[in-house]
Formats: sequence, C-alpha cells, structure tokens
Amino acid sequence: MLVSFRLNGELVERQVVANQTLLDLLRDDFAMLSVKKGCDEGQCGACTVLVDGKTMCACLLLAVQMQGTAITTLEGLDKSGDLSVIQQAFLDKYGFQCGFCTPGMILATKALLDRNPDPTTEIIKEALEGNLCRCTGYQQIIESVSRAAEIMRAESGARARA
Amino acid sequence: MTIEVRPLPPFDYVAPGSLAEAVNLLTEHGASAKLLAGGTDLLLRMKKRKSNPGILIDLNRIGDLSFVAMRDNALHIGAGTRLAVLYDSTVIRDKAAALADAIHVMSSPGIRNRATIGGNLCNASRCADTPAPLFALDACVKLLGAEGERNVPIASFFTAPGNGRGKTVLRADEVMTEIIIPLQAGNSTFLKLGRRKGSSTSIISAAAFAVMANGRFKQVRIAVSAFGSTPIRSKKVEMALTDAPVDEKTIKQASALIKDEIKPITDYRASAAYRTDMAAVLIERAVTRLAAGRS
Amino acid sequence: MDRSRKYLDDIRELLAGDDYTIVGKNVQRVDGLEKVTGRARYTADLLIENALVVRPVWSRCPHALIKEIDKSAALRVAGVECVITSADIRGENQCGYYIDDQPFLATDKVRHAGDIVALVVARDEAAAWAGADAVVVAYEQLPAVFEPKAALQGDFGIHGQKSPGDVKIRKGDVDKAFAECDVIVERSYQVGSQDHAYIEPEAALAIPEGLHDVTVISTNQNPFRTRSVVARVLGRPQSEVKIITPYLGGGFGGKDTYGPVISTIAAVATEHTGRPAYVIFTRHESFAYRYKRCAFEIRYKSGATKDGKLKAIDVDYTCDCGGYATHVFGLMKRAAYHGTGVYDVPNCRITGVAVYTNNVPVAAFNGFGNPQMGFAIESQIDLLAEKLGMDPLEFRLNNALVPGSRTGTGQVLDHSVGIKELLEKVSERAEWPAKRQRKPTGQTGEKKRGIGIGCSWHGCGTTGLKHDWAGASVILNRDGSVNYCTGIVEIGQGTITSHAMMVAETLGIPYEWVKVDGNDTSRMPDSGETHAQRGTFIGGTAAVDAALKLRERLNALAADILGRRGNENEIVIHDGIVARRDDPGRKITFKDLVTAMYENGLSPAEYGFIKARRGYPDPDTGQGIPYAAYTFGCTIAEVEVDVGTGEIEVLNLYPGVAAGKIIQPEVVRGQVNGCGMLGVGYALTERVTLEKGNMVNGSFGDYMIPTIMDIPKLEPYVSVEDEYKYSAFGAKGVGEIALISTPLAIANAVYDATGVRFYSLPLNAEKVYFGLREALA
Repeated sequence: MLVSFRLNGELVERQVVANQTLLDLLRDDFAMLSVKKGCDEGQCGACTVLVDGKTMCACLLLAVQMQGTAITTLEGLDKSGDLSVIQQAFLDKYGFQCGFCTPGMILATKALLDRNPDPTTEIIKEALEGNLCRCTGYQQIIESVSRAAEIMRAESGARARA
Repeated sequence: MTIEVRPLPPFDYVAPGSLAEAVNLLTEHGASAKLLAGGTDLLLRMKKRKSNPGILIDLNRIGDLSFVAMRDNALHIGAGTRLAVLYDSTVIRDKAAALADAIHVMSSPGIRNRATIGGNLCNASRCADTPAPLFALDACVKLLGAEGERNVPIASFFTAPGNGRGKTVLRADEVMTEIIIPLQAGNSTFLKLGRRKGSSTSIISAAAFAVMANGRFKQVRIAVSAFGSTPIRSKKVEMALTDAPVDEKTIKQASALIKDEIKPITDYRASAAYRTDMAAVLIERAVTRLAAGRS
Repeated sequence: MDRSRKYLDDIRELLAGDDYTIVGKNVQRVDGLEKVTGRARYTADLLIENALVVRPVWSRCPHALIKEIDKSAALRVAGVECVITSADIRGENQCGYYIDDQPFLATDKVRHAGDIVALVVARDEAAAWAGADAVVVAYEQLPAVFEPKAALQGDFGIHGQKSPGDVKIRKGDVDKAFAECDVIVERSYQVGSQDHAYIEPEAALAIPEGLHDVTVISTNQNPFRTRSVVARVLGRPQSEVKIITPYLGGGFGGKDTYGPVISTIAAVATEHTGRPAYVIFTRHESFAYRYKRCAFEIRYKSGATKDGKLKAIDVDYTCDCGGYATHVFGLMKRAAYHGTGVYDVPNCRITGVAVYTNNVPVAAFNGFGNPQMGFAIESQIDLLAEKLGMDPLEFRLNNALVPGSRTGTGQVLDHSVGIKELLEKVSERAEWPAKRQRKPTGQTGEKKRGIGIGCSWHGCGTTGLKHDWAGASVILNRDGSVNYCTGIVEIGQGTITSHAMMVAETLGIPYEWVKVDGNDTSRMPDSGETHAQRGTFIGGTAAVDAALKLRERLNALAADILGRRGNENEIVIHDGIVARRDDPGRKITFKDLVTAMYENGLSPAEYGFIKARRGYPDPDTGQGIPYAAYTFGCTIAEVEVDVGTGEIEVLNLYPGVAAGKIIQPEVVRGQVNGCGMLGVGYALTERVTLEKGNMVNGSFGDYMIPTIMDIPKLEPYVSVEDEYKYSAFGAKGVGEIALISTPLAIANAVYDATGVRFYSLPLNAEKVYFGLREALA
C-alpha cells in the first residue's frame, strides 16, 4: 500500500504493509531515530510524535493510517540549524538526564505551548502525563517548559510590538 | 503471568469511506474482521495475540462518526469522537458532567488524542471508565448493521465481563454509531480509584446522578464498574437514597449497601475485600460531592 | 600511583585564584545538544543493515529439569540461521557476577522464569519470533520455592547449597550492652523488590572484526566486566573483545548486573554465524525476566540508655537472591556494613544470609541494600525515640556519626562526616520543630498529615569483593584541544561532563576544549563499573590523576620557557593562558605550550590509574575499611494519608546530601529529585508482583512508577560540602543517596500522620487501608 504524508514539513511517500507501525516506519525507513521504542504498548510516551499538531504514540498507529497527515518528530524542530525555543529551554534548564524520554517530552511541550502559551504548573503536568521519565523526577522538565513558555511569550510580545 | 507483547502479526487492511461500506465489509468477513477506530486497545491486544483478525476495517476515513450535537432533547455523541474532543467540550462538561469527569481521569493526552468513546465501550474492558457515567446518565447507544439501526440502552449493552475484551450485544455485522444521553435536570459526577495519581487503570469506579429538591434526593442513579463484572446500577443504594434527606449520615448508610450488591474479583491489582469497601467509599464521596453542589 | 595523594590539596595549589573557574558551576552538559536535538544515539539506534536478529528462548518454568531441547522445527522456519544451546558454547558457559554459579545458557535445569535455554538467530524479526516459538523444550517440573524461609527449611535442591553466602558484623559485646539498656525495641521488617523500569530496554549489537575479534555495542554499566564475561564465554582473550557503550537510557544498576548477559547474547550469535547480530528486549521481557532489587526480611533489635544513647544492635536478615547469586553478595554486605545507620553504635551483631529461591535473580539498584536495611534502621530509631520520649530529630543528633567516630565495621571516619550538620540544616529548612508541634493529638477527618525524617549513608566505591580501581586517558593536542577517555558510562547522571570539567579545571583551560570520546574498552585502562557512587569519586579521580601528571609536566616546561626554571609552582594556567604568578605579563598560550611539549619529546598523553583507599573487612567479624568515604543523606517528608482509601500523597520532600564538593549543582539537583522519586515509587506504588516466580504486572500500565502527576513539592537540596581529601576536588558520590532516605522518611511520616506503624514496603493503598482499620479497631 502506498502512503504519503508530510514528515517534518516535507512531502514523502512510501510503500508500507498493514502491520507496520508508524514507529517502525519512522525509525527503519526514515531514520527518525529520536522516536524511541520504550514499551511498544502506548504506555511510556517515548514514541510520542505530533500528528497534525496532536501528540500520539507512534507505536499504536499503523503507518498506512497516516495518509494525508502532517507528522512532526524532534528532528523537525531544528531544521533551520538553530535550536527551537523549547530545545534551548530544555538544554539551559537541565530538563533531561539520560535523554531517552526527551524527544517525547519536547514534542508534548510543543503541542501544549502551541495551544496554551501561559500554562500553569498543573496544566503542564496534565499535558505531560503520558510521558514517563525515570531519571529526573520531572521537576526540571516542568521548569524547562515554563522557561520555554516565558521566552515564547516574550518573543511574540516583541514581534507584536515591532 | 504477564501476557507477552510482540510485533503485530500480518493482516489485511481496508479503510471504507462510509458506514454502509463498513457494514458490508463486516457482513462479508464476519468473525475474521475487526473494526479499527482509535486502535489504542485493539492494536495492543493484537500485539498480545489476544485478538487475531484476518482483516482490519479502519473507521477513521468515515467523516460522520465524530460529532457532539444537541437535538431532540438529547446529547448525541458520534461513536468515533476522540476522547480528547470530549475532554475539551464545554457541552459535555455542562450536560454530562459524569462523563466529563471520567474522561478527565482517563489515560493520557496522547492516548486520548486517538482513542474514541465508541471504542472504549465496544472493547468492554472491565476497567473501562466511560460505561459507569453513561449508566448513571441513562444513556443509550445506536448500532448500525446489515438489518438496519437499533437503539440499545447502555444498561443492556454489556453482557459478560472479559479479561481485556468483554462481551456486548454488538453483532458481528454491527458498528456503534452514536451515544445518546438524554438532557435532564440534575447533576452527575464520577470517581475512580487507581493506583497512583497519574494515569492508572481503575480498580473500581463509581458514577452518581441526582436530582435534589427541598433537602431530599428526588431521583438517584448509582453505577459501579471496574470490579470484575459488567457495570451495574445499584438498586439498593438508589432505593435507600430516593426520597431520603440529603445529609451525611443518610449518604454514608446508603452507600454501604453496595457491599451486599457486588461481588468483585480479587486479582493482582486489588482484593475483592478492598474493592468492596472502596465501592462504598467512592459512592459516598460522589453523592456527597453532588449534595455539596459540586463545589 | 600514590594512594595517599591528597588530590584536593594538590589541585588547590595550582589554582590561579581562590575559587574554581569551572567546577561547582553549571555548564552545558557534553551530551546536552545531542539529547535535545534527538541526535543522541543509544544502542538500538546503532543497528547495521543485514544484522541478524537474536531472540532468546526463555524458561517460563521457575524450576525444572531440561530433558530435551528439540531444535528441529525451529530450524525449518524460513529465515532461521541457527539455534544455539549450551552445548554450542565454545568457551566457558558461565556468567556469574561474583561466583561461578550461573550458566550463561541453561544446561541441565532452569532455576527461575527467565533462565535462557536457547538463542534463535534469524534473518528478520518475524523469523526470529517464529523460530523461538518453534523450539520445543521438554521440562520435568521440580518443586519450586518462592520464600526464603521455606527455601531454608525445605530441600529444593536449587543449587548444591541453600545459600551462596553470608556476612557477619561482630563488634563489642552485644548481650552485655543490651543488659545495660533502658529501652529495647525489636521488630521484623519486610521490604519488597523493585524494577528499574528505565525507559530504554536492554539491547546489544555484536559485530565480527577480522578473524576472531568481536565488538559489542550494548546497554551495560560495566564495559570491562562485560568484556571479561564475553571473552570467557567465547573462549577468546580479552584483547580480542571490544565493548563500546553509547549513552544509556537509564540504568540504576539494572544494566550493571544484566549488561554482561545482554552483551553475551549478541556476541555468541555473532561468533556462531560470523555475521553481525543484535538483540533488543521487549518491555515485557525487561519486566518479566530481568533481575530486580533484592527483597529483604529483617529482624532488627536495638537498645539505648535513658540519656538517649544507642548502645547495641542485633540484626538478622535474609536476602532472596532468586535462582542465581548474581549481585547478592555486594548488596548483602553493603547492607551489613551500613547496618548501624548513620549512628555511633558501640556494640553490633549483624548476620545476613543470602538464600536461593526460584524467583527472578537480583540486580544492583540505587541504594543496593541500603534502602532495605534503612527501612528497618530508621523505623527503629523513631521507635526508640518514642519510647524515650525524645524528639526523633534530637535522638538522631544525639547519636550521629562525627569526625573521629568508629563505624559498625570499626572504621574510624576522621573527616568528611557531614551528617550532623546536614540533619540540622535539613530540619531547619523543613521547619521541623514547628511542624512537629502543630500536630494535634488526633486529627479529625479523612485526610491526616504527618512529617518524618529518614537518614542514610552510602559508602562510595564497589563493595569489597574485588579491588576497586579506575583508569582514564588524557591526550593533549597541539591545537590546545584535549581528548579525554573514560570507561565510566554516561547513564544520564552527567558524570562524563563532571570529568571534562575536572580535567579542564586541572589543566587550566576552558571546559569546551575537553572532548569526551566514546566509551570504548580498547582506548583506556579499566575504569571499573559505573555503580556504587564511584563514577566521579573514583572514576573522576583517575581523570584528575592523569590531568595532574600532565599539569606537572606542563608547569615544569612552562617554568623553563618563561624563565623560572625549577619553580613549577610559580606557573598559573587560567582560561588557556599560561603565565608566571609573579609576572603575569610573561605568558604563552596553552596551545603553544603543548606544541612545545611535542617539540621537546615530552609525552602529551597520560593514563590516570588509581585504586580506592579501602580494604576487605574480616569475613567473620566484618571489621575493616569497606569504603574510602561515605556520602550522607537526609530527607524530611510530609505526607497526607487518605484514611478512607489508604492512599498516601507525599506533599513535600526536603532532601539534603553531604557529598563533598558538588561538581555540577543543577545536575545534582536532578539526581536528588530523580532518586527521590525512585524512593517515592519504592515506598508507595511499585510492587513487583510475582505469582509462582512469574511477574504478573510486567508492563508500564501495571507496574506503577510515578508519573509527572505524582510528584510532591521537591524542595531544592541542602548541601553540606564535607570535602574528602583524597578524591578529585573533594567530591564524593551522589548518585544513589537520595533514593535511600526518601522511603524511610515517608514511612516515619505515615506513622506521624496516623499513629499506625507499618513494617513492610511498599505502602500501597490497600495495605494501608486495612492496616489502619485493623490497628484502630
């Protein structure tokens, strides 16, 4: 079956079989290795991708179902060569340790901040509830998200004034 | 022993563009077909080899399965509506509070963005969280098959519990199309007991609906689920509360009656004794919350 | 190597100013950019095309004889290359961690669910899974046992002996001391297992090189130990085996114990086929079959005099090590060496016994016996304090170790003993006295709040069963850049960044000039394992050992060049500029100085190699020096107990560490928070539920680790920088300490909240609900 979709902004097309998950397609065919296989059961969030801007677990999506969608992985956030605001915030505020959950966390953050530019701590927690982390105790992740939100608000405020 | 999880086995796949086409495909393939909506339950069961369909019929290309509409004095929810849409819906929050409460403590954002309310009901997992609110709200579901449409009251929809997938009245050629909740005066709520604050399968859950006037309960519906059987309405608790005064003692005594009405299972998640006691606690807290005006 | 070198003093002498330039500040981690861009590569990201797939054939029986392994059907599956059993092992079929009790592939019997009976190697995943399903193993079931007591009483014949070993501490005269005590408390405690549940599953890729060499890329915490096990099983010399360890997606000790096993699976497949081969565990396999925290049963008796002084302890405990001893010796002994808690106890009798059962074997896990023993210790302390009518904080302060104290193993701690100051500071931060007083005698309502303290200590360095050495390599390049190599694994804890910082500080150059090369056993001498809080403490000291040797050489050459021959101490290097202390105008660049080294035939490279300053406690009395230094920890926890459901919510955690010099403050905050949450999970929601030796809750949906919704208010940590003289920059380890004290504090807080004490962990809601009802009935 032929499936075509946008991957990090670029239109792509592949022959897939029905039982191929989006997770396996992204890793095996597109070398989007930031999308991690943590459990393959939709319970850890390490395979989180954005599909039309919404977080989903790639391990529970069939590749063939992605026809016509726009998919974003972490690789798509710094295509310009510069770190996105969220990535810089995670870097500066130590929002990672082993880094395995980090791609999912950053994408969940993007989905959140694209909707809600000024989230409370409670809202941040709800948005990241499906992303498990075993290393950080989550605190510095929350601080990274808040920091990203702050920068994004400042930047959009500056643009508005310009 | 935990069931092993392995890569998906091969299967055929088709994505019909209409409900009629979907029903035809179901009729054609019979038991070897499974409907694919969100996939968050089905695909996982297939990885565990608990479900082995020869063909998946993908409902996601059918446009008219996702909606939230008010008409004919009822709330109509398309069976293919994503839980995330219901999570954000002010209509659901206003008119079906118990359902909104349940969706707010179900699963996680990534799963909710994909999972559908119809899928949650049709899988009939004994830990599912949407049934109890619908019981308390006296909902019904619309099924479409080769022989046409039929409405089934939610209380008759589930026939037997399963470990994972339970049994429902859904026939091999049928698709659930809608959930219909009557608009009604009164308030409702839902509480679950998980095993941590973050997303967790329910070990018991309860939903309550009540109309109160002049310090008394006028109409009460109490539903309990996730304890091992199909969800139930608690006749004993409902009878004890109907026309009874809205006070702490009454609520406590009435809630305790659930202990005679359910026989929960013991499994590695919780014991029967704990589930039984917690059923009473959840009912008491749910009804108390309604009595306090959901503050 | 000079074991008495005071690295702390030596570095201080070199400094340009009063303060460190890099160490103690927050820098951008060396792995940061890779991780936030998703370019960081973990083992499963490094697979190569046409590599074969390996699938284990697991025993699901906990105890059985293997009558026959029938490969025939498996070999007929299209795509299956071979099926490997113990008969095919060319070297020694042995992978025991401390003793040789563990065949790599099962021979005549299986001893736990998860014992590996065969390896199926195939062209692709589907063929490998089908092949593994097609292997037919004929078992004769044997009676199985899952409780240490029953195992000791019965005759199950798991191995030739019921126990692989024991540990004893004998100090002073315990019976005489008890006779003199005014209060004595004796209780039994049980602490359960715990799964590491790191997000990255185990994986290994093996690649053949040349005629006989094998390179293995794997999720391990001990590249050199892994190399020795792989070499042994293959029957090749260690020089022909190379282990490459990329970033790990979490370890916590699980990839320490299991690292050699997963690596050998891939290596054996490669050796048999002559082709690259990889194995990746599913999450289910990682839960169901991989080794876990050891469950303890402890009987703890302790006594004190009415002036609030601890006098004696008498402790017996069993460690359920499952089907093989694996890591049990280390954790059993560590628990004994720390068995007094952070207190001066003059008379000690501690006996620990490891017991074989048919449960899944044990792995290292942050704390390594100390959380388990600590639960008993810190509960006992509160019980004694209560009997004496003393505030639990006062009682602890009254007995805390101080410089000059002798531990339970008779070790004199002459410096770097910050526990007392830590207790004072943490309790002040947590407002202990005020919160203790505000608690009324009986809280009404269904939610009850309480506050509790837990103290911990953790000796830095591998527990004394093998020597504890570490190597590192530093090479100066003529452009001023530096290549640094260590065998310490980057698991997320940020240790390689600390090493780069310490090397840069020692050399006097910007941190960015130090490049940490990949972890590759062919590039530097054995750095030892990444465990036991030794990555910075010992691994980092090896780094500084190398850097100091180079620095001495650089200083001497610079003194020569800048006209101060023979006065090496007069040279300062700061930010890459080499200058005379007395005349800073006389200077050259670091790059030019390094070039001069080359031109003068002075080696620009050094290996560091150090050995930990400790010995081997006596096997009969446990007296001796098991660890060079101890990190201390203290946590105060505030909880709220829902009496109606038994659910416990941790409201606040106030942690503190006395870990010497803190190299990276924000990274350590992450460690403290992360370990704190591991402790919260261990205390409350994580239950490894085994039925007949098989894990029934082996998924993230059923093994409840804390989500982001489950965190309390995590206060910034108190830090007492009680520097250790003999380690680089006076740093001790800090990677485990905060896990240990957290569950202990929570348990004490639950007692404070409810008036009911629980003697087993975890405190899951059902246990608490029924426990409260029973106690208050």
